[in-house]
Amino acid sequence: MATPAEVAAQQLIYPPNVMFTTQALTTVKFLAACFAGAAAGILGLQNWSGFALFLVSTLFSSLCIHTLNCRGRPAKYIPDGWTGLMNPGQENASTFILVWTLFYGIVHVYD
Amino acid sequence: MSNSAVSLYLDPQIRDWVLFPITLVMILVGILRHYVVLLLQSPPKKLPREAIREQRAMARAQILRATSANSPIPPVYYQSISRHLSETFEAGTYLKDGPPRDGDAPKMPANPMTDPAAMDGMMSGMKTQMVMMVPQMVIMGWINFFFQGFVLIKLPFPLTLGFKSMLQRGVETQDMDVRWVSSLSWYFLNFFGLNGLYRLILGGDNSADSSRDMTATPFAAAPAGPQDYNKLFKAEKDNLEFSEGLYKWIGEGVEDRVLSRYHKI
Repeated sequence: MATPAEVAAQQLIYPPNVMFTTQALTTVKFLAACFAGAAAGILGLQNWSGFALFLVSTLFSSLCIHTLNCRGRPAKYIPDGWTGLMNPGQENASTFILVWTLFYGIVHVYD
Repeated sequence: MSNSAVSLYLDPQIRDWVLFPITLVMILVGILRHYVVLLLQSPPKKLPREAIREQRAMARAQILRATSANSPIPPVYYQSISRHLSETFEAGTYLKDGPPRDGDAPKMPANPMTDPAAMDGMMSGMKTQMVMMVPQMVIMGWINFFFQGFVLIKLPFPLTLGFKSMLQRGVETQDMDVRWVSSLSWYFLNFFGLNGLYRLILGGDNSADSSRDMTATPFAAAPAGPQDYNKLFKAEKDNLEFSEGLYKWIGEGVEDRVLSRYHKI
C-alpha cells in the first residue's frame, strides 16, 4: 500500500493530461526513429555507425524535449522522469532498422 | 570467406515491383485487420436496470474514495454522500435482487463454460486471434509463392552465418554474404517495424499490432463470474469509513493560503 504522502501526491495528477503527454511523446519518438532511419540509409552508414546514429538521434531528441518543453524539469511533466524521456520508445528500434534498410536499399543498392 | 567488397547489381524493377508492393500490402492488410476486428466485435449486452444500478453505486463509492486525501468536495457534501452510500450498502437497497432476505443460500460463482456472458468474452478473444493470424499466413504464402528465388535487398548491418538459411531461403549459394537477403526477410522486417506506424495511424489500441499477438491469449480475458455484490458492498462500506478518516478537503485553510501568497498576512 502506498504511503499517504504518495497517495496524496498521485491524486494531484490529472489523468487526461498525462495521457496526452504520453501520446505526444510516443509520436515524437516514432518520428525521430523514422527520420533517423532515413538519414542513416541515405548517408549509407553501415554496421555500428548506423546504430550510433540511432543512439545519437535518441539522445538529441530527448535533450531537445528536456530543454525546450520540460524546461529542465522532466519529472514535473513526464510520468517516469528521466528514464521515461530517454528510452527510445516501444519497438522504435525495429522501425529504425526497417526504414534504414529501406533507404539504404533504394539509394545505394539499386542503381 | 566471401569477398564483401564485390557488390551485386540489382535490377531497379525489383525495387518497384517487389519492395514497395510488399510494404504497401502489409500496411493495408494491417489496417484491414484492425477494421475487421472492430466490425466483428459484438456490442456489449445490455444489462437490466438493477444490475447497472448496483455497478454504478460501486463506482460512485470508488470515485469518492479515490481522491479522499485531497478531496475537491467540501466536508458537508463528502460526508453526506459517504454516509448515504454506507447506509444503502448496509441495507442492500441497491442490490440487483433486492435487499437480502434471511436464509438465502449464497450464490454459486458461475462456471465460465456455462455462464453466457463470460463465454461471449472468450469467443470474441478467440475470434480476434483467428482474424489476426490468418492474414499473416496468407501473406507469407503469397510471398513465398511469387517472390521466391531472388535476392531483394542488402542489409546495412552484418549478421551471423546462422541466419543464412532463414534469410536467403530461395537462393542456394554458399559464399554470398548474409547481408543479401530474400523477400521473406523483408516481410519479417516489415512485420516488426510497422507496429509503430499502426500505432500512429490507428491509435494506441489498434488490433493490427503484431506485438500484441505474442502476449495475448484468448483465455486470459475471461471476466470473473457474477460477483456477490452483497459481500462487495460490505467491503466497500468498510473502505468508505476508512477513507472518511483520511478525508481532507483541498480547500481547507484556503483563505490563509491566498492571503499569504499576496503577502497580506
